[in-house]
Amino acid sequence: MSIVGSSIGFGLITASILAIAAVGFTLQFGVTNILNLAYGDIMTAAAFAAYFATKGGAPLWLAAVAGSLSGAALSVLLNRFVYSWFARRGAKLFAMIMVTLGASLVLQNGMTALFGPDFVSLPTSVGTTYQVGPAIFTGPQLAIVVLALLAMAGVHSLLRYTRLGQAMRATATNPDLARSCGMATNRIIDAAWLLSGLLCGLAGVALALNLSTFTTGTGGTFLIPVIAAAVLGGIGQPYGAMLGALVIGLATEVSVTVVSPSYKTVVAFAILIVVLLFRPQGILSEVATAKEIAT
Amino acid sequence: MSSAVQLYVSTLLIYLGVDIIAALALNLQFGVAGIVNFSFILFQAVGAYVAAVLTLGPSTPPPAGFQDYVLGATLPYPLPLLAAAGAGGLLSLAIGVVGLRRLRTDYQAMVLLVFSLIATIVVTNETGLFNGSNGLSLVPKPLADVLGLSPYDIGYQWFFVGIVAVVCVMAYGVVHAITSSPLGRNLRAMRDNEHAAAALGKDVTRLRMLAFVVGGALAAVSGALLVEFISAWSPGSWFLPETFSFFAAVIVGGAGNNFGAIVGALLVPVAFLEATSFIPTFGRAGLVESLKWVAVGLLIMIFLAFWPRGMFPERRRRFRASRTGAASYATAPSPCFVRGTDQPIDSTLLEARSLRREYGGVHAVEEASFTVPTGRITGLIGPNGAGKTTVLGMLAGAVAVSAGNVLYQGAVITRLAPHQRAQRGLIRTFQQSSEFTNLSVLENLVVAVPRARGDGLAGALLTKRYWRGQQEAEVDRARALLERFAMTPQQDELAGSLSGGQRRLVEIMRALMARPQLLLLDEPMAGVNPTLARRIEEHLADLRADGLTMLMVEHELGVVDRLCDAVIVMARGRVIAHGPMSTLRVNQDVLDAYLIG
Repeated sequence: MSIVGSSIGFGLITASILAIAAVGFTLQFGVTNILNLAYGDIMTAAAFAAYFATKGGAPLWLAAVAGSLSGAALSVLLNRFVYSWFARRGAKLFAMIMVTLGASLVLQNGMTALFGPDFVSLPTSVGTTYQVGPAIFTGPQLAIVVLALLAMAGVHSLLRYTRLGQAMRATATNPDLARSCGMATNRIIDAAWLLSGLLCGLAGVALALNLSTFTTGTGGTFLIPVIAAAVLGGIGQPYGAMLGALVIGLATEVSVTVVSPSYKTVVAFAILIVVLLFRPQGILSEVATAKEIAT
Repeated sequence: MSSAVQLYVSTLLIYLGVDIIAALALNLQFGVAGIVNFSFILFQAVGAYVAAVLTLGPSTPPPAGFQDYVLGATLPYPLPLLAAAGAGGLLSLAIGVVGLRRLRTDYQAMVLLVFSLIATIVVTNETGLFNGSNGLSLVPKPLADVLGLSPYDIGYQWFFVGIVAVVCVMAYGVVHAITSSPLGRNLRAMRDNEHAAAALGKDVTRLRMLAFVVGGALAAVSGALLVEFISAWSPGSWFLPETFSFFAAVIVGGAGNNFGAIVGALLVPVAFLEATSFIPTFGRAGLVESLKWVAVGLLIMIFLAFWPRGMFPERRRRFRASRTGAASYATAPSPCFVRGTDQPIDSTLLEARSLRREYGGVHAVEEASFTVPTGRITGLIGPNGAGKTTVLGMLAGAVAVSAGNVLYQGAVITRLAPHQRAQRGLIRTFQQSSEFTNLSVLENLVVAVPRARGDGLAGALLTKRYWRGQQEAEVDRARALLERFAMTPQQDELAGSLSGGQRRLVEIMRALMARPQLLLLDEPMAGVNPTLARRIEEHLADLRADGLTMLMVEHELGVVDRLCDAVIVMARGRVIAHGPMSTLRVNQDVLDAYLIG
């Protein structure tokens, strides 16, 4: 079995987790225009929720549901009680990013204070392995890919076939226009935080499943690749985020065949910098000037 | 004092000095210039590394020695400190060239954050650079051998407090000279409204880079002092959250206020993070540490929510009363607000040639060609969505043209940046209020002065003596203008607290302070009460008499009728008519455009 083949396999798994997280990130960022630096820490919180659920005897699938729901709850609460308070008072971008940073510090270190700095793991059994093309997947890994595909299909049908989904896409494309068309933007914003949190939580559980062990800093370190995937796809563009996740996931894992594994994440970082500098509106977007991404 | 207490106090003082320098540096970048530098700690780190390797002597890689690094040398003090400053400045320049492009604030913060993360990974993995994750240790304490003191002596400890104090005072001197000078005023204007600053001829790219480099060099100095004191430096010494403790310091102290930054450094990094490491720990290992960072996060959020301007809000600058007595507009020679021109009246000053602007396939402007004659007021009218403001943006350089050219005094200026056009006397005002909100009214005017003394780094560092004379003359000029527009009572108020109509006045006065040759006015009377509008109208007529050329977008046709010599009519992205108002009134195309839209 070739190294390239197996690294493509790893890439697909990373891309699956990234896709769930990046779609959630981009939906919320697109609708609310808030770059939420606490997103990775919500992922961590969801992973811990799943961990405590399994410790309480819940089966893994139920733990994953608990993780997603707690991600959604945390996300909605964070917006309701913190971010929207600042947004209503017309906080400028620099203040808003400092606020999300503060939230991230509080969440991450609060969890360290509560749960301790040690690594923990979800009880997964590797069990049988499955050969798919050149790559070998474990059961949990295949589950992650299937979960990602289901989540993407779910997001797709929501955005395509429901009024709420259409309203969300419209708001993400042009918030002012959506508001003046009489859309209840507050409800849409709440829905965006909820959906984003649900996906964020699911991604957190998937990340914990994929890594054998995790700690309170795990989600935070995963945040930059998530942002890279979302920005690459164009903020507010869920399909772009899926594509971005695929590119980032494959690029980081396949890079291992060329550079030292320590530099794996640098690949995602470099992609983020290059995209932000040369095409901040992302690869799939035409709306940059309307949203003043590049001033 | 017992030696244990002396050790404790002197150690805290050294940390305080180091943190004050760092907080002043970040305050210059973030508080004054508005750069959200999430890579701040990287610059402290590079200063520490450079100072360390230039003190340690040649690298001693294993197996013979235990640490491997580049640039190993033993330079006499204070050369390592100066080299650290240089390295910090150079790294800022390199990162600034890539990272300080015109991006949304939060995106820019992300780019800088990622640079810091990449640097951590590189330094950790390239073990030959600064000895990898183990870092550098046994860095000799400066001048200990020269003084014949043991570096562990309490006497040496106090000597080092002295070094830090001297550097601290010098750093304060540099930062204070910058923030109190015309350069500092330009930086604050850029922070409040970048586009408006560029439209007044300020090179915002250069300004931002300058604050970034000076701040980076000072951060490096703080790192150098720190490594000289603690003798060791590794990736663990500069992990990311340290950046945020300095942000907390600046926000708590008061962004934009140097004294606030000092108090912030005393409260957050010192009292909060350093001093508490001496208290007995409770709970599980690391609990106190985590709770500290929870508190830092809460501090940032709580201050931004309830005291966004910090404990010591940015000082509102007041100017001394004029020495020559209150100058009045009547005594001031009028043309001092207008750039002299050798262009004969009615000759073409500005020409638009087939300007076009598309947004993703939609034409905001399809075809706009017209001329603006010297010494006249030309009106630009048309229904909503006709493309008037887009045309003005293309003339001023804020909006890039999709096709076509702009000629000014016969030269093509299509590719010039907004500030370059402004420096040639092409000054615009904005449709939406664009005052510098945290500057006083008088400062809003004085900041517009082109090529002011002390608006460069060298001039600023020469301090008040160098630039005060010219500034006093400009303040007199601004006061005369304020009197003319009946705004003298508001001169020391923050521009952000004015009424809508007063802001329009500030905008026009500010443009005049820039000594325009051609003034592009975008609805100067929008939202202004009729009395005030009437006064603005009179002023514009007077300015024309002084030789100022104007192009004015205006909705109120009565104003256009009274004021404009010729009028350009636009509709649906095209110029449909051009001529005096009397002929346009009977032009069928114009009537159709207005009535049918």
